[in-house]
Amino acid sequence: MTWVSQLVQKPWVWAWFGAVSMWVIITGVSGFGAGGQVMSAAASFGTFFVIVAIGQMFVITLGPGNVDLSIPACMTLSATLAMKFMNGDPGLLVPGFLISLGVGLAIGTTNFLLILFLRIPPIIATLSASFLYQSTAIWSNRGLRVKPPEVLGDFAVAKVAGVPILTLVVLVVTVGMAFLLHRTRFGLSVLAVGQNEKAAKLAGIRVERVRFLTYLMCAVFASVCGFFLAGFSGGAALNMGEQYLLMSIAVVVIGGTSVAGGYANLTGLWGASLFMFLLVSMLNTLGLSAGYRLIVTGAIIVAVIVVSGRKLAR
Amino acid sequence: MKLSTLGLLCLSAAVGTLATSVTAVADTSDKKIALSNNYAGNSWRQAMLTSWEKNASAAVADGTVAAADAFTTAENQVTEQAAQIQNLILQGYDAIVINAASPEALNGAVKEACDAGVVVVSFDGIVTEPCAYRIAVDFHNMGKVQVEYLASRLADGGDLLEIRGLAGVFVDDEISGGIHEGVAENAQFKIQGSVHGDWAQDVSQRAVAGILPSLPEIKGVVTQGGDGYGAAQAFKAAGRPTPIIVMGNRHDELTWWKEQKDANGYETMSVSIAPGVSTLAFWVAQQVLDGATVPQDLSVPFLTISQDTLEENLANTQVGGVANVEYSLEDSLAVISDN
Repeated sequence: MTWVSQLVQKPWVWAWFGAVSMWVIITGVSGFGAGGQVMSAAASFGTFFVIVAIGQMFVITLGPGNVDLSIPACMTLSATLAMKFMNGDPGLLVPGFLISLGVGLAIGTTNFLLILFLRIPPIIATLSASFLYQSTAIWSNRGLRVKPPEVLGDFAVAKVAGVPILTLVVLVVTVGMAFLLHRTRFGLSVLAVGQNEKAAKLAGIRVERVRFLTYLMCAVFASVCGFFLAGFSGGAALNMGEQYLLMSIAVVVIGGTSVAGGYANLTGLWGASLFMFLLVSMLNTLGLSAGYRLIVTGAIIVAVIVVSGRKLAR
Repeated sequence: MKLSTLGLLCLSAAVGTLATSVTAVADTSDKKIALSNNYAGNSWRQAMLTSWEKNASAAVADGTVAAADAFTTAENQVTEQAAQIQNLILQGYDAIVINAASPEALNGAVKEACDAGVVVVSFDGIVTEPCAYRIAVDFHNMGKVQVEYLASRLADGGDLLEIRGLAGVFVDDEISGGIHEGVAENAQFKIQGSVHGDWAQDVSQRAVAGILPSLPEIKGVVTQGGDGYGAAQAFKAAGRPTPIIVMGNRHDELTWWKEQKDANGYETMSVSIAPGVSTLAFWVAQQVLDGATVPQDLSVPFLTISQDTLEENLANTQVGGVANVEYSLEDSLAVISDN
């Protein structure tokens, strides 16, 4: 039974355990047919959580105080500008996507410059800058909802044998990011900075360069998520990013990444994303009222963090 | 010197009397009205602010009031809005129109305003402080008519899915209460599932997609607005027949309805609150400043769109915007005299 004891040592196992438990309950209540469909829906919606969570995970791994609170505003601004530019024309899909990427690069750079030159703590820098981004989104289109090009909408919802294509794409990206984190100079630098910034600096790591790339990456993931979410749900909306701030942090933490930084994994992100979707679905299925639903959600999240956190203690 | 001042006073009093007898508006030409708004982050609130701007700038241009400025707090927070109201009092506004972040928590600031002689008119997000005027929508009935409509369409009744708004908000409780009362009176219906869609398409789509696999065949979806299109997308993605989904007033909801109507004769209805209610609140404030007697509690009808009025309403709705009704001074006087 050594493999079992080895498995429970893994920080990501609890998120998956939670996701599977939720699925078993839903299937138990509603039958296997429903279980299959709900899994397909979980993959669809969980994919968007994973996209923003990858970026947030790298940021959080940089160590205490590092978190990107501008994710919702970044998603909104990227989606709003891209949808407005394309105005439903499939021929403009590529430039539209480039605009979205451009928004991500600009926001990531701005966030970093605020942190570096004005010496503002990341939490405050990204939060206050997000008002700027959100206001720009409001100013640029006054909340009017522009339809995405049909081909983008079709791609965002397309499925192969019940598995969304976007999910498969993001799975490949996740594997690439796992390689980046664990096998490249950049990824190992992020971990090293998170474990001990001073030691990392003395070891010759250019800390500010690593920080810059990390915040840049996080903003780009958020902007890309906004682009595809707008395609998926029929247009950009000013409040489209609202739920993605807490979700990105919850998914990272439940997925077994250390809140204190320095230790991260990508396997847990998927487990935690599916868990978060299935948890809400399960509580809805059981017909609990909103009050109980929020209490149970909070209690379960705390429980998962406590259990996985104990394993993380070193 | 003294004489000329007196003469001037007499003259201005005479002009004032004259103006009052001709038209009621001249009395408020030196009055300043402010809008205190707690949130601007969705299309409904943007339409509300646009209506206010359009209407208020016209009123300022023709000299009805001296100023009508809109202020929105950065975060949707009670403390911030309370501070904002205190600032508006200090800045010398004669009336404050409020869309409040909370029905009770702003009462202290509202009382301060009243005590300082400022007229307070609340709408949409109303305040309970007795000295303020309230322009309320009958949210309860807005829920109930949905079930009554479904009863007229589905003689045999059936299973319903309820999409609620933002948990913990007074409007959500009111509309849902009306829906449940409607279901209690129409025993042929049963609410099989209830999810929170936060009045947003993508949140509704996610919540409905999550619960749909566990539900039996759904005959009707009762909603709160802003969530109909997302629900329709979720039913489509699950490969289920489209039930009767009660729509709100977003352009994409109405467009989807129109497409279905043209393609297969799909029938439904839409209930919503017109964001232009901000213009009614403006005129109520102006009338109170003008000395008119206005009831403390006003109720306005919600906006209903039926199968027959769909095209007309869709044509009047800005692409990507929200179906709207704006109130002129005459419309507002009619609402006041109806109450």
